[in-house]
Amino acid sequence: MNFSGSILLVDDESHIRKFISLLLRHLGVTRIFEAPNGMEALEVFKREKPDLVMLDVNMPVMDGIETLRALKQLDPDCVVVMLTSLANRQTIDQAVALGAANYIRKDAPSEEIGRALSETIDTCFEPDGTDAGAPPSPQ
Amino acid sequence: MDASPIHPSIDLKGRRILAVDDDRINLRIIGGILRHEGYELAEAASGEQALELYATFHPNLVLLDVMMPGIDGFTTCRTLKKTYGDKCAPVIFVTAKSEADDVVMGFDAGGVDYLTKPFRPKEVVARIRTHLSNQRLVEQQKDLVEQLSKANAAKDRFLGMCAHDLRNPLSSIRGLAELMDESAIGTLSPEQREIVQTIHGASQSMLLLVNELLDVATIEAGHLKLDRAPTSIYEIVERSVHLSNIEAAKKNTRIEIVKPRTLPMVDVDRNKMRQVVDNLINNAVKYSPRGSTITVLIHSSATVAGFSVRDNGPGIPENERHKLFKDYGRLSTKPTDGEKSTGLGLAICRKIVEAHNGTIGVDNIPGRGAEFIVSLPVII
Repeated sequence: MNFSGSILLVDDESHIRKFISLLLRHLGVTRIFEAPNGMEALEVFKREKPDLVMLDVNMPVMDGIETLRALKQLDPDCVVVMLTSLANRQTIDQAVALGAANYIRKDAPSEEIGRALSETIDTCFEPDGTDAGAPPSPQ
Repeated sequence: MDASPIHPSIDLKGRRILAVDDDRINLRIIGGILRHEGYELAEAASGEQALELYATFHPNLVLLDVMMPGIDGFTTCRTLKKTYGDKCAPVIFVTAKSEADDVVMGFDAGGVDYLTKPFRPKEVVARIRTHLSNQRLVEQQKDLVEQLSKANAAKDRFLGMCAHDLRNPLSSIRGLAELMDESAIGTLSPEQREIVQTIHGASQSMLLLVNELLDVATIEAGHLKLDRAPTSIYEIVERSVHLSNIEAAKKNTRIEIVKPRTLPMVDVDRNKMRQVVDNLINNAVKYSPRGSTITVLIHSSATVAGFSVRDNGPGIPENERHKLFKDYGRLSTKPTDGEKSTGLGLAICRKIVEAHNGTIGVDNIPGRGAEFIVSLPVII
């Protein structure tokens, strides 16, 4: 995967963070930050300014949709990919309407997760890793 | 317990009977006959009083004299039926022997039975018992159905919750095993690799089972929502064939798609229809011997279009055909390479296809295998 930027991974389940971060490293991403909920994610986002955020939908403390809203307020151009386990159409539509770039089912085989992430990166970033502007809607 | 010879298990003690008659002597006779039956008895001397008393006494049965001053028995009965509808207690009319027309009119007014004066005690007791028993049985049946539907809904919710909570950990286990197998954390020894592959295979089949249980729970609870869009059948099938060929290659099996002359369009939920195609192709690979060729064909007519999957398996035994598309309907036929089967796949396929107003069926190709055929309404 042609991506030199950093990724913030937000999921309340540590095994999911373990799996996705290992997958990301396997795909060549070297700078990965992790947060177990929306609150902490906002702190890390402000501090580390990651290029892309992978955001779980169902989380305690502050759920994915609320976090997405807060992230977009901090930086309207931030690229956010939603992590879903059950693709609930309504939630996905809501996230896309709020500016999420794409969604990835975390129960998909790693090959498919990698492919979906690459697609998002290809459409949202220039080859040199700079932001290509407002993310287009998925599909 | 009541020792009634008809329904020995039905307890009728404490059931409430409202007796309506303008003749006090008749009321006294009825009271005398029913005294030892354990019923609770209320008396009304007119239709008007009966309507009033019904509202507070809530009888299980009404004994209603036909001829009364004021509103007569028929009018009283009609008023009760109108007021209480299906919940109205059964009404038995009380009439003099000579008034045969009363019987017919009584049934017209909504009565369930009639008793003639002078009373024969055994007849009165038997008829009342029969109607109270019937009513009790209907009540019990309603309760039972309600309890069962609740239990079934609870089961579906439980299944759904369970499956849902198992999914994430299972996908992590599978994903991590997969990554280890790809040497994401360094090279593995052959023995380590074999173990990691076993973990991967086991979590994969568990995930499949959990997903299918979740599908069944979702569909059974009536929560299957279709996100329909005009879609080319060929496109869906081609993608599935491409992905399935990777897995099938492990069994040295090939899946071929016969490109159709026309490309029919259908209005379907792509993901759900993909699930159907995947399932039928996976089954074909699973039940065909190693080194088989599976053929996928697209068909279309003026009104329906769809696809079929031909395998090289043993075919569907005629005597097991009825089980094929039912929940947990596993047949005696076994996968040829030790693959797993939940017995839910085809039931889910059928539910998805039927939700699209389509049909799914199977034909045996003599000496060659089985052909599963899915047909959907075309977009006109």
